[in-house]
Amino acid sequence: MTEIFDLAIIGAGPGGMSAALQAAEFGASVVVLDRKATPGGQIYRDVTQSPLLDPSVLGVEYTEGAELVNAFLEADIDRHQNADVWHIGENGEVLYSQDNQTHRLVARELIISPGAMERPFPIAGWHLPGVMTAGSAQVMLKSDGMVKDGAIFAGTGPLLYLIVAQYLRLGVTVNAVVDTTPAGGVGRALQHLGGALSKPAYLIKGLKLLNEIRKAGVPVFRHASELSVLGESKAVGLQFKQDGRTHSVNADHIFLHQGVIPNLNMTRALGMDHHWSEQQLCWTPTLDDWGQSSIPHIAVVGDAAGIQGAEAARHAGRLAALQVMHKLGKMDKADLKSMSVNHLKAMNSFKAFRRFLDAYYAPPTQQRIPTQNSTLVCRCEEQTVGQLRAGFEQGAKDPNALKALTRCGMGPCQGRQCGHTVSELLADWQSKPVSEVGYYRLRSPQKLLSIEELSHFQEVQPAPKPAEVSA
Amino acid sequence: MNFDALIIGGGIHGSATAYHLANAGIKALVLEKDYVGRHASGVNAGGVRLLGRDLAEVPLSKEAMTRWQTLDQELDTDTGFRRRSLINIAIDDADMGKISSRINQLAELGYDHEVQINQQELRERLPHVAPNCVGGVVSEQDGYAIPYKATSAYRLAAERAGVVFHEGESVQSLRQIGDNWQVKTDKATYDAGILINCSGAWADKTAVLMGDNVPLSHSAPMLMITTRMPHFAGPVVGAISRQLSFKQFENGTVLIGGGAKGFADRDNNRTTLDYKKLALAAETTKTFFPIMKKAVINRMWAGLEAYMPDNLPVIGAGVNARNAYHAFGFSAHGFQLGPVVGDVITQLITTGKTSFDLNSFRIDRFERKVL
Repeated sequence: MTEIFDLAIIGAGPGGMSAALQAAEFGASVVVLDRKATPGGQIYRDVTQSPLLDPSVLGVEYTEGAELVNAFLEADIDRHQNADVWHIGENGEVLYSQDNQTHRLVARELIISPGAMERPFPIAGWHLPGVMTAGSAQVMLKSDGMVKDGAIFAGTGPLLYLIVAQYLRLGVTVNAVVDTTPAGGVGRALQHLGGALSKPAYLIKGLKLLNEIRKAGVPVFRHASELSVLGESKAVGLQFKQDGRTHSVNADHIFLHQGVIPNLNMTRALGMDHHWSEQQLCWTPTLDDWGQSSIPHIAVVGDAAGIQGAEAARHAGRLAALQVMHKLGKMDKADLKSMSVNHLKAMNSFKAFRRFLDAYYAPPTQQRIPTQNSTLVCRCEEQTVGQLRAGFEQGAKDPNALKALTRCGMGPCQGRQCGHTVSELLADWQSKPVSEVGYYRLRSPQKLLSIEELSHFQEVQPAPKPAEVSA
Repeated sequence: MNFDALIIGGGIHGSATAYHLANAGIKALVLEKDYVGRHASGVNAGGVRLLGRDLAEVPLSKEAMTRWQTLDQELDTDTGFRRRSLINIAIDDADMGKISSRINQLAELGYDHEVQINQQELRERLPHVAPNCVGGVVSEQDGYAIPYKATSAYRLAAERAGVVFHEGESVQSLRQIGDNWQVKTDKATYDAGILINCSGAWADKTAVLMGDNVPLSHSAPMLMITTRMPHFAGPVVGAISRQLSFKQFENGTVLIGGGAKGFADRDNNRTTLDYKKLALAAETTKTFFPIMKKAVINRMWAGLEAYMPDNLPVIGAGVNARNAYHAFGFSAHGFQLGPVVGDVITQLITTGKTSFDLNSFRIDRFERKVL
């Protein structure tokens, strides 16, 4: 007979680890599946085994993750690393690949924390060799200690400046920072100033980063627009406009970034309700204050639930786990309320702060909705704006119809890269709100899966708890 | 609003019927509750297969196959059709025996499109086939098309001929008043002289509103597709006695079918997959083609498909109402018949007859039977 876990958590970032710790404190049987070799998520990637001599150059927001990771490693939790979840069923069934095999487990409740991804940056030449996202550059730095001298960082948002600062602290040269944050950011963000002032430490941290970059003498082009990557077969530079003048800067590596958005492949494949967030300009699962989704036994925490950052994810993880404990009968409503109150308060303050950041760093329309026919939208299937436009004109008005007609979004990334662009393009062409246009219907597997893995099934069961063994 | 004919369902049969009607000078409206090609017509395996057809279907299927060869030119839009031949593989003498007797049966009826091949020829045509496969049967004209493209090609050709498509509009009620049909949807009311039921997995509901009962069921045949692989299979592949079916497209991706069924939630337009059965299909595929061990699955899905108890479609006039026609229940092999069914329905409407024997496809064929 299949033994059933009380709670399965997908993803061991700050949200997933906090949820697991909270549930373990109640003695629930918890299993955590994480696709990486070590827990930490993107933010605390390899924090307990950094390849860098001095990981503190990456900043305290990185090194402070070590405490959480260690607590997670010591708690009474079933942990599975290198476990790539590719299907979650409405019956609590979770299928995942590990060691070239398909494993199956069942849980009463699920908390999923699939994290964020970088927002697509569909400009001319963004597909050329030498162009990467700034996030990928950071992954290479955190996990392998690899960097690239003389690159251009282009785009907007706090993560971009953080990575530039990390590079500079390591003595790596940076050719230029091309900042696309539109002018008038403070004006746009003014109405949310209260939220910003609630987190003075974050504001100061942000200002320090900008100052650090300025002091290092890196050329910073502010309010840049109309970006395009130069080069035929590989990137050789970046062209852009500033104050009405066209500039171009040479570099064979260009790191693009315009903020992060929820990684939707899992929540979409589950068929959860989503909505278009005008504040964050992205699709977001529709959730209650505890992270509960439209599917009764599945909660979403962390950046996949809407971009809030690592510290908010810790509170969200705790909140979701508390509600699950209440649902499993491990605590009554009054206790749920009293244990949640501080986390809810913290979440509200993070949300207020986020409204300020989102307004200030709103990615410009021009860099989200490409207009040039030759610009690539779907990198896997090499579909350009012009080809999609032709499909649209042939009657494919819905992302799924467009996908079926043009193959856009059918490649190995399953629309991760082009999904938001396609929704926004179709909305633009029809002068409709994005919410009415919708998104791709996603399918299993949520990651590539070999025929070998699929053909081998193995059942995973909870280990008996020590207390149950002695009883 | 007034139309000569109103078609319910924007799948390949609804769209093709609209196209043929328009060419015959009959102004048609197609009502589609979702969008054209949303269900089985847009997400099926794309098989264009004459091989192994039920004898009752062979004349229709042969005619359809002839038309597929030049359909792109006729519709002036890409359907993705590729003639690649289809081979059903035999793994033992019993399979070879089945092939021989089927070919004899076809020969008696004057057909020669299925040809038996021996082990050597099988290997020449499919070099990566497992060594224990002993032969097979091939149909040269067969191949595949891209389902959504083909359905969409019919829609575009129909629109150019004057057909009106309304998407996202579902039928609420049907009434025959005198010689006319009054159709109420969630958005409008229409009058039309002729009503045609092409509503696929929902066709039994439409039929009931038209006065015809039909024992239609629905299910969710599952498919999976791999990432690009080195080219290893030209022909489309099936098997005589195993649930094997796959085709490698020009871009290298391999589509694996085989008839395994998931779960259909028709009321919510949803399907869910049965992973144990897909695992079995994966196992079968790699047994027949060891090269597929390296295949990487990119996507798995299921469409909503209508099935009749005898796996034969309903094609023809309604029995309990005038000016009513049906084309549905294709039981997971209707895609190939698209190019002929629309024409047959149009012939019935314009001349009252067709050269094809439609007796096996009558909607009331089960009324005399105990199921």
